[in-house]
Amino acid sequence: MFFAVDRLHSIRFKLIASLIIASLLVCVVSIFVGGNMLYRSVLDEARNRIRQDLNVARVLYDDRINTIRTALELTASMPEVFSGFCSPESPLPETAFMQLTTHQGLDFLGVTDAQGQVVYRQEGNRSGSPGSSKSYPLVEKVLKEKQTFAGTVVLSEDELLFVAPSLVDRVRVSHAVPKGGRLFTTQAAAMTIGVAVPIFLDGSFAGILYGGMLLNQETGLVDKIGETVFKNEIYKGQNVGTATIFLDNLRIATSVKDASGKRALGTRASPEVARRVLGEGGSWTGRARVLDNWYVTAYEPLLDISGKRVGMLYVGVLEAQYADVRARAIAKFASIILVGVLVAIILGWMITGRIMQPVTHLIRASAEISSGNLSPDIGPISKDDIGRLQRNFLTMTDALREKEERKRVEHETRLLQSEKQASIGKLAAGVAHEINNPLTAVLTFTHLILRRKDLPEEVREDLEMVADQTERVRNIVKSLLDFSRQSEIEVESIDINGLIRDCVELMKNQALIKDIELSFKGQEKLAPLRLDRNRIQSVMINLIINALDATAAGGSIKIVTARSVEGCKKGVSIAVEDTGHGISPEDMEHLFDPFFSTKEVGKGTGLGLAVTAGIVERHGGSIKVRSRKNEGTTFTLWIPYQDGPEDFQPRTGEYKL
Amino acid sequence: MKILIVDDDEIVVRSCRRILNAEEVQTQVAASVDIGLKLLLEHRDIDPFDLILTDIKMPGRDGFEMIRRAREIEPDIPILMMTGYLTPETMEKGHLDGVDYSIAKPFTPDELIEAVHKTIIRKKKEQTDE
Repeated sequence: MFFAVDRLHSIRFKLIASLIIASLLVCVVSIFVGGNMLYRSVLDEARNRIRQDLNVARVLYDDRINTIRTALELTASMPEVFSGFCSPESPLPETAFMQLTTHQGLDFLGVTDAQGQVVYRQEGNRSGSPGSSKSYPLVEKVLKEKQTFAGTVVLSEDELLFVAPSLVDRVRVSHAVPKGGRLFTTQAAAMTIGVAVPIFLDGSFAGILYGGMLLNQETGLVDKIGETVFKNEIYKGQNVGTATIFLDNLRIATSVKDASGKRALGTRASPEVARRVLGEGGSWTGRARVLDNWYVTAYEPLLDISGKRVGMLYVGVLEAQYADVRARAIAKFASIILVGVLVAIILGWMITGRIMQPVTHLIRASAEISSGNLSPDIGPISKDDIGRLQRNFLTMTDALREKEERKRVEHETRLLQSEKQASIGKLAAGVAHEINNPLTAVLTFTHLILRRKDLPEEVREDLEMVADQTERVRNIVKSLLDFSRQSEIEVESIDINGLIRDCVELMKNQALIKDIELSFKGQEKLAPLRLDRNRIQSVMINLIINALDATAAGGSIKIVTARSVEGCKKGVSIAVEDTGHGISPEDMEHLFDPFFSTKEVGKGTGLGLAVTAGIVERHGGSIKVRSRKNEGTTFTLWIPYQDGPEDFQPRTGEYKL
Repeated sequence: MKILIVDDDEIVVRSCRRILNAEEVQTQVAASVDIGLKLLLEHRDIDPFDLILTDIKMPGRDGFEMIRRAREIEPDIPILMMTGYLTPETMEKGHLDGVDYSIAKPFTPDELIEAVHKTIIRKKKEQTDE
């Protein structure tokens, strides 16, 4: 399990995720910003277009008026048509008027005499009875000025009744209020375009020919605008372009149709538009809602012949087509981004894989190290920063290996030593026990014989030799038994300086005899150590005896105690330094082996140092030797302070040479 | 004075007898714990021993057993234990079982005699303490 790290927390995932999040963020922002910019520029484009369209619509509107004017002027200038004017008996040429009406699509047509009295009136195809026409504003103007007038005229219901009574129905508009759906009828004024032409007979003013059309619910003009400007383009079942004529702010003629195909009449323009266009006389472009759809729209005022703002001309294009442009663009953007993100993920995965490969290798290698393999494969060294990490890792594993090897050798040595000691101990115990019985007899009988007074002197001397040597054997066996005894030490709190002082006191005479200076310098205010008094005493005496044996007359032995820390344990070091003959390196190796002795045969048991090391070890301490041939030797004991009595267990710990 | 010596090793027994006899101490020898206990019982009422000197390591029943049984038979008799492997543990065990003094083999005649005296003194001191 090299990757105990779950994938969501791996560096690789984090890198890729942050890259993707960053790019997604940029993409989303750019979609919105770009989409909106695109939309806005498209809208601007649409507004420009609609303004032009409005101009075209205006031209068409004016053109309609001019066409009627030209036709009426032409008719008025034909003398044969109005020759009958001179004698009331000769009738007016109704056929010619009928033709005019049909051709020009006029809703009404009439003729007055020079006083403005209607002599002929026609509505559509129907001829009506003559009457006064004073209320038709255009006629009044011609009577005054004796010249042609043409333009937009708003008629009240009375005026309309007079001009064309049959048209009154067309100004009543039913429509559904968007909310509630209730049908109601609006009674509006009539909006007309019309022309009045003076008739001159033989150079004198003889009458007026007038005609025009009602715009309320008129379809020809608005449809023509739609047709000319927008080419009857259809987008998703809707006319792209629409045109509407307003009387004041009321829709009276339009090309906008609702779902059932009915024209959307009778509703009013928004107050904002009305204020701008009707109130201020400006034009207005912008988004507007008509029925259920949004349009990009343009409005401008319609003026009547006296220059009063009486209505508005409107054109609009469906916004949906532009909105769809945006939607399409965003969809395209989104798909590009999706592909980009996919590519980024794949690329990121590959690149981070390459980057992470050495790291993955290192992670695996470190796992191997912790499971014991100190020479793990870490893969090729990379040239980047990770290369440094890898080199450091190699240095670390080298150091670890070296340390491990040292430890192994040390451990093996120690193991060997303790095994050796244990087996020797067992053997010694057995042998010593068996030797002691015969030795009892030897000692007993030599001593008993020595008690006799009648022994010849030379026999006594020989026998004493036997007694001495038996004593020696006894000592060897005793040491051997001490050595083999692995019993627990019995500790008590002891002032180590006092203990050493006692030993020095004991050995003083021997030193004096050998002419060796024996000195002791204790560290002041040492806290008491937990020690086995008898054993440490025998250790100290043993070390002093060894030093005395190694040192020639005139030499010196110094014993020094000091506070000392080993590892992280506080303790006391006891150094026994002599100026003796020193120990050779080859002897050094066997110094603590049982039965190893450099002393003359018969002088040492070869167990002293082995026993000493064992005792120090059982106190949790260590013993070290530093020696130079012919310069002297220093044995340094180190005994730690015990934290508590429960801590004080005999150990098979190491002792150092 | 009469001492019962219990040891399976004849050479040790002979050594002890020679040392003690030289001091005009009577000795009786048992080569095993069973014989030792038998002798102890036989002599208890007619001619009781003054001291028991016993080895520890013996085949069959060992010295500790001897000491425990002896204490049952003669609660007040001084007991000296001798062993070729005298460790603090052996000493402690011996004392718990009822030994008054102990001596390590090998020993010189003087050491044995001194040990015998010390055993008797210890026992006496112990009795007066009570």
